[in-house]
Amino acid sequence: METIMDLRKSLDDKKVTSEELFKKSNTLAHKYQEEYNSFVTIIDDYKHVNSNSLIDGIPFAIKDNFSTKGILTTASSNILKDYVPVYDATAYKKLIESGGVLVGKTVLDELAMGGTGTTGHTGIVKNPWDKSRQIGGSSAGSASSVALGIVPFSIGSDTGDSIRKPASFGGIVGFKPTYGRISRYGLFAFASSLDHVGCFTRCVRDAAIVTDILKGKDERDMTSLPDENINYVDLLDNDIKGKKLFYIKELTDLNLYKDSGSETIEVLNKFKETIEKLKSIGFIIEEVSFDEKLLKAIYPAYMTISCAEATSNNSNLTGIPFGPRGEGDNINDIMFDARTKGFSELIKRRFILGSYILQRENQERLFKNAQRLRRIIVDKTNELFKTYDAMILPAGGGIAPKFDSEIDRMSPRYLMLENHLVIANFGGFPSITIPSGFVNNMPIAINITGRQFEDGLVLNIANKIEEQLGYKGIIKEEYDV
Amino acid sequence: MVTKEKLKDYAAKLMFDMDDEGYDRTLKEFETIEKHMALIGEIDNISEISPMTFPYEIYHASLREDKALECLTNEEVLSNAKDTKANQVKVPKVVG
Amino acid sequence: MYKVVIGLEVHCEVKTNSKNFSSAKNAYSEYPNEYVDTTDLGLPGILPVANREAFRKSLMMSLALHCKTPDIVMFDRKNYYYPDLPKGYQITQETKPVGKDGYVMINVDGVDKKVLINNIHLEEDTASLDHFGDYSLIDYNRAGVPLLETVTEPCMYSVKEALAFLETLKGIFLYTDVSEARVDRGQIRCDVNVSLMDENSTELGTKVEMKNINSFNNVKLAIETEIERQTEILNNGGKVLQETRRFSEEDLKTYPMRSKVDAIDYKYYIEPNIPPIKIEDSWIEEIKKDIPMLPFERVEKYMNVYGLSRYDSDIIVKDKKVSDYFEETISLGTNPKSSANWLTSIILGYLNKNELSIDDLYLTPQMLHELIKMIDDGEISSKQSKEVFIKCIEEKINPKDVVKSLGITQITDDKTIRDIVVRVLDSHPDLIEDHRKGKNTFDFFVGQVMKETRGKANPSITASIIKDEIDKR
Repeated sequence: METIMDLRKSLDDKKVTSEELFKKSNTLAHKYQEEYNSFVTIIDDYKHVNSNSLIDGIPFAIKDNFSTKGILTTASSNILKDYVPVYDATAYKKLIESGGVLVGKTVLDELAMGGTGTTGHTGIVKNPWDKSRQIGGSSAGSASSVALGIVPFSIGSDTGDSIRKPASFGGIVGFKPTYGRISRYGLFAFASSLDHVGCFTRCVRDAAIVTDILKGKDERDMTSLPDENINYVDLLDNDIKGKKLFYIKELTDLNLYKDSGSETIEVLNKFKETIEKLKSIGFIIEEVSFDEKLLKAIYPAYMTISCAEATSNNSNLTGIPFGPRGEGDNINDIMFDARTKGFSELIKRRFILGSYILQRENQERLFKNAQRLRRIIVDKTNELFKTYDAMILPAGGGIAPKFDSEIDRMSPRYLMLENHLVIANFGGFPSITIPSGFVNNMPIAINITGRQFEDGLVLNIANKIEEQLGYKGIIKEEYDV
Repeated sequence: MVTKEKLKDYAAKLMFDMDDEGYDRTLKEFETIEKHMALIGEIDNISEISPMTFPYEIYHASLREDKALECLTNEEVLSNAKDTKANQVKVPKVVG
Repeated sequence: MYKVVIGLEVHCEVKTNSKNFSSAKNAYSEYPNEYVDTTDLGLPGILPVANREAFRKSLMMSLALHCKTPDIVMFDRKNYYYPDLPKGYQITQETKPVGKDGYVMINVDGVDKKVLINNIHLEEDTASLDHFGDYSLIDYNRAGVPLLETVTEPCMYSVKEALAFLETLKGIFLYTDVSEARVDRGQIRCDVNVSLMDENSTELGTKVEMKNINSFNNVKLAIETEIERQTEILNNGGKVLQETRRFSEEDLKTYPMRSKVDAIDYKYYIEPNIPPIKIEDSWIEEIKKDIPMLPFERVEKYMNVYGLSRYDSDIIVKDKKVSDYFEETISLGTNPKSSANWLTSIILGYLNKNELSIDDLYLTPQMLHELIKMIDDGEISSKQSKEVFIKCIEEKINPKDVVKSLGITQITDDKTIRDIVVRVLDSHPDLIEDHRKGKNTFDFFVGQVMKETRGKANPSITASIIKDEIDKR
C-alpha cells in the first residue's frame, strides 16, 4: 500500500495529480462507508492550498472532534449533531496550510469516551480485517480509513490509548508524541491533562512526516511545547546499536495469563519472538519488574481522572450558544432537556461517575488518590528511562475483539495488559504502536514508549524495528487497490 | 453508600436524566469502580504522595501579553444558536 | 441589643486591553456580542490563555492590601450550570489565590480601623443577561473579563464601617489603576454577609449572604434591611437561618434564594490547561515599586506633616489626580495650607461647577505656586487673586501675565499711601473725633483711600497707616 512518500514521488513525477488522488480517496470513502462507517462527513469538493511541504496535495482524514470551520463537527454525539464550528483547530489548520486535502471527518466513540468504536451517534465502525470485529476506539474511523486504504494518513486524539489501540487492531502505525508537542487548540476536550493529538499512518516515516508538520508552539495552548530546530524525519535512520529497551515482567509473564485463553498466550509468545529478533540487530533489551499492584491500579486511576475531567469539560454542552435547543418553559428545563436527549446513557454514566469523584467529600479518596497513583507511575517510569531509552510492550493482550464479546473488567489481562498504554498519557510520553505480526489472521502490534520530549528517538527506534519486522504498509489484500 | 436516589440527584445536578435501567446499570458500575478504587487504596503510603495534575513539570509556559486581537464576528457568535434576537442569544426568561 | 457583624466580597473588573483568558478586547460596548472570542463563548475545543497584565494588576492589588502573594500562577475550575456561564465552569483561584491574609486600614469618624482580608483572587466575569417580558437575552461581551474578588473577614460592625471599607477599596483600585471601578457600568459588585450576635456573646451569629449588590448605596440599604429582619426574628425568640437571600431595591426587602442544605458543591479542581508558572521575586519587587502612596497614608501625611484638617485631607485624596496636583504644588515650595485652601475652596469648586476634571485645568501646579506667591508677597490682594484665577483659566494666560495686563499690582509703598491717608484725615476732622468716641468711622477712611487708589492700595498696609496717623493727632 502506498505511503506518503510513495504518493509524494508520484505527484512530483507528475504520474498523478492531487485532484486524482482526492477523487480516488473520495470514491473509496463512499464505497466503504455503508459497510465500515468510517466517516461522519465525506468531503466531495476538492480543496487544496499550495505548499512545498511533503504532504502537499495528499489526502487525509481527521477525527470528528477537531474543530473545522464551516464543516460539521459532531464528536459523534447527538448533542453536537448539527454543530458547524466557526474556527479551525490548530492541527487541522496546519495540515491545510501544508497542502493537505481533506477527505472526511471520521467517526469516534461518542465524545471520544470509549475504546470500541461502537458508541458514535451514526453507528458502529467495523474492522477492515474482519467485519465481525471492532476496530477499537475512540479514533475508530481515523483508524479504519487508513486501514482500508482510503487515505494514507489520518488524525486522531489519544487520551488513554485512543490512537494506539485502534492502530494495533487495524495493522497500521499510530503515534502520539509528547504531551504539548502538538497544540490541542480546537480538539474537543475529553480529559485535558491526558489528551494528545496524534496520527495514523502506513509506516513510521509517515508518522514522522505528519508530526513534523503538526508540532510546534501555539499561542492558543499554554501547554504547547516550544519550537525545536529539528525534523523527526531526519532522525529516523540514526544508528540504534546499543539502544536499551525494557519490557515489564509483570505484564508479559505467561504465567499470569493462564486463564486468559490461547490468543493472549500467542500474543505474548510472538512478543518474545519479536524481542529476540530485535536483539539480533543490536538492541539491548531487558526485562524489568514493576509492582503489580501499581499496574493494576492504572486503569482505575485513568477512569477516575478522565471521567472527572470529562464531566467538567463537557459542561459547555447545554444547547444555549450552540447545539440543539432543548424544549421547556424555563431555562433550566431547556438545558436539562438538551442534555438528556443529547448524551447516550454510557456518557451519562461516565459523567455521574466523574462528578461523584469530584464531589467535595470524595475528592481526596478518589480524585486525589488517582492523581497520586499517576505520579507514582510516572516517577517510576521516568526512573526506568534513566537507564533505558524506551519501553517495548505488546500493544494489548489480544486481537481486535468481536462485537459481541464480553470483557471481564476485573481480570488481570484487562486491568494490566489491555490498559498499560495509559502510562504514556499519565506522563505525556511519546508513544507509538506498530504492526508486529498476525494472530488468527488478525494484526497484532507492539508499542514503543520513550522519554518525554524525545519524540525523535522513539520514532527512530520504531523505524528500525519496522524495518526489521517487515510489516510496513500491510493491508488486507482486497483493499490493496 | 451510593443509592439509586443519590445517583438520580447527581444526574439532576449535571442537568440530565435517564431511564430507570440506566440508574441500575450505573449502580452496578459503581460497585466495580469501588473495587477498582480499593486497588489504589492498597498502594503503600499513597496518601503521602502529592497529587499530579500535569503530565510533567511544565517549565516552558508563559503568560500572554495583554494585546486585544481580532475576535469573532457577531454572525459567527450567533451562528450556532438556535434562537436569537437583537444580536444576542435568546432564552426563556431567567429568574433569580 | 445585638451587635451586627458584616463581611464583604467585592468583585471588581480589572482594567486590561484584553480579557483574562482570551485575546478579545476588554472594553465597554453598547453593541452586544462585539468583543467575543471562541474561548469566551465556551465553544468545544477552546483553551484558556492567561493574561499577564491581569495577573500583574491582581498582584499589585494583593500587595496594596498587604497580602501574602503566591509563589506560582495557578487557577482552578468552579463548576456550575447557569446560562450566563458558557463553559459550564468559571476559571477562578481556590488553591493559590493572588493574595492571602492581608488587611486594609480604614477611617471611620476619625478613628482608624484595620479590616482583615481573607483572600483576594483573580477570576473571570460571566456573560450578561438582559431580561424582557418572557425572555432573556445573552450578551457575551462581559464573559471572560478579568474580575478580582476581595474577600474580607467578618470584621465590620456597622454600616458605616462597611461603606468606609468599600470607599477605601475603591480608592485603592483607582490609585493603583487596577480598575476604573465604575459602579454605573457594573464594574464593582458586592456580596454581603450579615449576622447578628448577642452584645455580651463572643460567638458569631448565623450569617445570611446577599449576592450581587450593584451599588454602595444598595449595600447600605441591604445591610439595614437585613439587620431589621434578623433583629425582629431574634426579638421574637426565633432563629436566623443560614441562607443566601436576594435584596430587592424596589421594596427594600430581602427574599430567600437558597438555604445551606441546597448549597452548591462547586467541585473545584485545578485548571489543567494553565500550567503553573513561577512568580519571580524580581517581578514582585517591580510591581511594589509601581504602587503609589495610597489615600490612607496620604491623609495621615497631610494631617501630621502638613497640618491639614482631616476634612480637607479627605477631600484632596478623593481623586488621585487632585492629590498628585497638591503634592506637586507643595514640592515647589508652596505653603501646604494655602495650597490646600486654594484646592478645596476655589479650584475644586470651579471644577465641580463646570463639570471639569483637574486634567482640564489650564492652571498648572507651577502657576498655582506663582499665584500664591504673589499673594504672599503682597503683590495682589486675595480678592484680586480670584479674578486673576478666573481670567487665567478662562483665557489660558499665565497668572503673572494676567496681573501685568490688568495692571492690578498693589500699591504697597508707605509714602504714597501715607500721603493719601493724611489728605483724607485732614478733610474729615469730625470723623476722627467720632472714631475716638467709639463710633466706627475707620472703614470709611479705608474706603476713601481705596477710592483714591482705585482699590490698588494694599488693605493691611493702608489700615496700619490710618491707625498710625490717627494716633499721631
